[in-house]
Amino acid sequence: MRLSRRKFLSLCAKFGAFSLAGGTIGCTGQKEAKVESQLPERQFPQVKGTFIEGTSSGDAETLNWILAGDGASLGYVNFTMDGLITYDNNLNIVLRWLSEPIEVSEDGLRYTLRIRDDLYWSDGKQVTAEDFVYTYRNLMFADWMPFNYKDDYREEIDGEKRFVEIKAINKTSYQFIRQTVNPEFLYTITDFWVYPKHIVKKYEGDIEAFTQADELNNLSYTGNLGPYRFVEWIRNDKFVLERNPDYYLGKESGAPYFEKYVVKILGSAAARHAALEAGDITSASIDPLQVKKFKELKHINVYTQPTSGYNILVFNFRNNGWEGFKNKKIRQAIAMSISKDALIQSIYLGFADPAFSFIPRPSPWFVEDGLSRYGVDELYDKERAMQIFQDEGYELHDGKILDGEALRLTVVTNSGNKVRESICFLVKQELSDIGIDVEMKLLPWTTELNQYLRNKVPGSDEEPAFNNGPDAVSEKPWDMIVMGFSTDVLSPSGSSVFFTSDGGLNFGGFSNPDVDALFNRIRTKESLDEDKRREIYGKISILLSEDLPGNFLAYPVGNVGFQSNVMGIEPGISMGYNYHEWYFA
Amino acid sequence: MNRLAKYYWSRLKRNRLAVAGMIYIIILILIAILGPYFTPDPNKVNFAEKNIPPIGFSIKQSYYDAKKGEFTTVVVHGNLEHPLGTDDKGRDLLSMLVSGARVSLYIGILATGVAILIGAVIGVSSAYFGGAVDNVLMRFTDIMMTFPFFLLLVFVVFIFGQSINLIILIIGLTGWTGTARLVRSEALSIRTREFIQAAIVLGADSKRIILRHMIPNVISVIIVIATLSIPGVILAEAALSFIGLGDPTVASWGRILNAGQDTLDTTWWVAVEPGILLFLTVLAFNFLGDGLRDAFDPNK
Amino acid sequence: MTATMRKYIIKRLIYSAFIAWGIFTVTFVLLRIGPSSPADRYLATMGAGKGDIEEIITALETRQGLDKPIYVQYVDYVTNLLHGDWGWSFSTSMPVMDLIRIHWIYSFQLILLSMIFAALLGIVIGIYSAVNQYSRIDYLSTFFSFVGISIPNFWLGIMLILIFSVKLGIFRTYYDTSLPVFSFENLKNLVLPVITLGTGSMAAYTRYVRSSTLENLKKDFVRTAKAKGLPERTIIWRHVFRNAMLPIVTIIMFDLSGVVFGGAYLTEIIFGIPGLGQISFNAIFAGDYAVVVAVTLIGAFITLLFNLITDISYTFLDPRIRYE
Repeated sequence: MRLSRRKFLSLCAKFGAFSLAGGTIGCTGQKEAKVESQLPERQFPQVKGTFIEGTSSGDAETLNWILAGDGASLGYVNFTMDGLITYDNNLNIVLRWLSEPIEVSEDGLRYTLRIRDDLYWSDGKQVTAEDFVYTYRNLMFADWMPFNYKDDYREEIDGEKRFVEIKAINKTSYQFIRQTVNPEFLYTITDFWVYPKHIVKKYEGDIEAFTQADELNNLSYTGNLGPYRFVEWIRNDKFVLERNPDYYLGKESGAPYFEKYVVKILGSAAARHAALEAGDITSASIDPLQVKKFKELKHINVYTQPTSGYNILVFNFRNNGWEGFKNKKIRQAIAMSISKDALIQSIYLGFADPAFSFIPRPSPWFVEDGLSRYGVDELYDKERAMQIFQDEGYELHDGKILDGEALRLTVVTNSGNKVRESICFLVKQELSDIGIDVEMKLLPWTTELNQYLRNKVPGSDEEPAFNNGPDAVSEKPWDMIVMGFSTDVLSPSGSSVFFTSDGGLNFGGFSNPDVDALFNRIRTKESLDEDKRREIYGKISILLSEDLPGNFLAYPVGNVGFQSNVMGIEPGISMGYNYHEWYFA
Repeated sequence: MNRLAKYYWSRLKRNRLAVAGMIYIIILILIAILGPYFTPDPNKVNFAEKNIPPIGFSIKQSYYDAKKGEFTTVVVHGNLEHPLGTDDKGRDLLSMLVSGARVSLYIGILATGVAILIGAVIGVSSAYFGGAVDNVLMRFTDIMMTFPFFLLLVFVVFIFGQSINLIILIIGLTGWTGTARLVRSEALSIRTREFIQAAIVLGADSKRIILRHMIPNVISVIIVIATLSIPGVILAEAALSFIGLGDPTVASWGRILNAGQDTLDTTWWVAVEPGILLFLTVLAFNFLGDGLRDAFDPNK
Repeated sequence: MTATMRKYIIKRLIYSAFIAWGIFTVTFVLLRIGPSSPADRYLATMGAGKGDIEEIITALETRQGLDKPIYVQYVDYVTNLLHGDWGWSFSTSMPVMDLIRIHWIYSFQLILLSMIFAALLGIVIGIYSAVNQYSRIDYLSTFFSFVGISIPNFWLGIMLILIFSVKLGIFRTYYDTSLPVFSFENLKNLVLPVITLGTGSMAAYTRYVRSSTLENLKKDFVRTAKAKGLPERTIIWRHVFRNAMLPIVTIIMFDLSGVVFGGAYLTEIIFGIPGLGQISFNAIFAGDYAVVVAVTLIGAFITLLFNLITDISYTFLDPRIRYE
């Protein structure tokens, strides 16, 4: 429930829909950064009880966070280490380890970070800028370290990718120095935590020793850096933390107010619901079907939480997809035939927001005016869709659209993801109304990955990748794929991997030079000006909503239930940013 | 019907449970073959008719209206059009279960067939050739028996893909060990009988002896094993589907059950109905298999 | 223990080790030639992010030693194994041996209690119905043992949860690992899982006990004893029961491997018990090869051990059996 950039991924996992999440999450358009608000003179809550968070998404893989490839792992670590900043429900920056807002130089090339001077490792040594610099330079950027986000810290200079420079200024401040402007780099540098240099040094260069180091796997170094301390982790069962009495934010307030915090893994939704209802756990996410019932329960409070992931029906623009998708009018006709209201009603039972482009409503870069709203109101019109097909030269016979013979399209998704499976069924139902037969292919994830998403130029011996250029095709032909993408609400330009011609995850092969150019403009000096950046994002959104690399479907809304004696919760997209101040009544 | 069959039938008839099981199985097979021609298309989705409970039940369904921030609640009653209710996509459960019967029986019978074939060949060869061949084959059987079967099934299916034919093949290739042992011991006792000895003395070749004399004589054992293995295979596939490793393209009972288990607390019928069918089918096969064993047992 | 007996056991042990090695090799090869790799798992759980995908995949494979030729991997693994090093579990970030050491108890208590439940009830009901053959109770128990054998245990499990936890609220919906293993609360915790896992076995044992008791009841020594006027209870316990034990031991041992590797896993999943079954299946889904190989190997060893124990226990239960 705590939110940091990476944490959004685990959030999305919680609500179950998004596998192939793309970009990541960043921060707002650098609004007024506010310093951790000092609590007024008042009686602080009493420390008591155990908070049990029930979850059905998978267990973490490692607490040695630099090696983590999954959201759950990062979520676990975050209990013991706050990180530099967090975001509140309006996506404003709330300082944590930082003592002042990040200072960005006029030219947008230098980022100066100043950390608090009261942060300590478990052995009493102070956390210094040197630890941060070491973590970046000697760990994250090191050749021997399989760190998954290296690319976030590289910039292209003269056609060559290089890591940005980082240096310590004094004991509590350090600086990133770039050669090229990227206004959204601001959100990258607050992503991760820090390792104690004096402990990790002995493992440097030896990945096996680093992977297996006890101190790192037991988080025994985290000192006063977070509200909780690691106690025990029983795999596939529970992750147990205890209150950290030395917590740097609790010096006066005595926070946090739970003696223990437990993440309990419950295999199925049914078990999770029953446990929440019985009071065996304190909080859990609730499936749409059950929300009404839980809202009526006196001892449970249900809060909705918007998410930044969306489902999309990606079209195949490559040579092994249906020719028709290369025609924008036809794409629009397809989008016009699939009702987003019906989709939200029948699959999410109302708990979703229709999607028309890739930036969700809670994002500061969201633009509503000018979006082409296919699939709702007057742009949900099957008659008109069929007319478009005829105008574009397709024949209509017996209510079937002919493309030589009766038009038949395939829609692919990974089995086991019930929402996506349902979407396939709905697409089939809707398109059959305008005379298109849809064949569904529900496949295991690996099969989908290897035979449909990865592609290469036929006959070449290149390694299959998600986008091997315009001539590449996947092993098996397909027309549409239902997929979950996730947008970085604070720095949405990460989504360029999906929508630009050479985007690394653009498996559908969509290409629009205007979109490419606009995405490029985000990473220039021009968009240091936030209004300018908002304008560019607006243009991209509008362009994509009309050009349709795929049919944007819906942003699901999550529901989280809490026992009603939990106090201090502020519902919203970043619910839990202040979880160290929650308490039991 | 020849005399022997008549004789066994008269013995089987006395076991009422076995007869009941047989009738159930025959009906089920007929339904599996003919049923899909009479029921609506099991893949026909209609989201307007989703989550309808079976006849005699009713549930409340709520939709959230994000714009108004309130719920609309409707009470849905079971109706005759969908006597067993519908799933979360509005598919008719009766049709799904009928076509699921086809899938589950197909898997059960085919995989058992493969296993029995391998088992019989290995068992009979082992008994007939004896000596080193017997030793090697039986040691091999031991190794196969030591393999944790379900674990093997899961990881082979996971690694090589969830396809129904692969599942059948793996169950067949690993499930023959019991058959091989039983057939071997049965064949050993037959081997000592006079007519086989006579055939060997007369110089008949071994293939001929195995095919013409030994196999037919162990057939009764095979029939019993087959009847008792089919439910095991059906259950194995259901268990595989239950943990999400079934073939996603075909709706076996196990897959339907798997789809329903997450909403057990609301749309319970989706998991309960295929479970009951699985249970009854396995029960019927067990009754029949047990009856057949008694009928073929000369000591009873 | 006689010398021949010792020799027999040693021979069997060597043979078992040989089979275990064979199984290990097959598992190892199957895992390595399969088209699914840990990199896929990474992509499936995490999404590719912005990073350079090829770079990430290469790094992952190097870290897990998957970039070397398969025979090198095999030799490395075997060498480590012989040094007592079972490798590192990448999906849980701990040594494989520790993982097993922590989690075996959850499986063990479940299996042990289920077996006790199944064997006790199976034997009592079986003997009772054999002694009172053709009585109403006999018919009833025969019928219910069929039901017990036929009911899919995973389905029984979810039905028990639906009825006793969700509707009636008598038991918790999940297994609580914070309770001490030897406590009444823990026992209560395990009621539904034990019934789920034990019912099928109980039903099977009932049928075997009944038929083997019936056979023994017909034997001469029982008739003699009856003729001597010994009380029925004495006859049953002293003569019939003892003789019926032999096939029961066999069937329990035979049943165990199925229970351990099929039923127990499904039961663990349904009730959220973090036992070895769940660990090993999660390892399969995570492509955590070291764990899969270790668990398969341990499983094979257990099965072989049970076989050995069965054979040896025969000699004690039936002195006529001798081994050369």
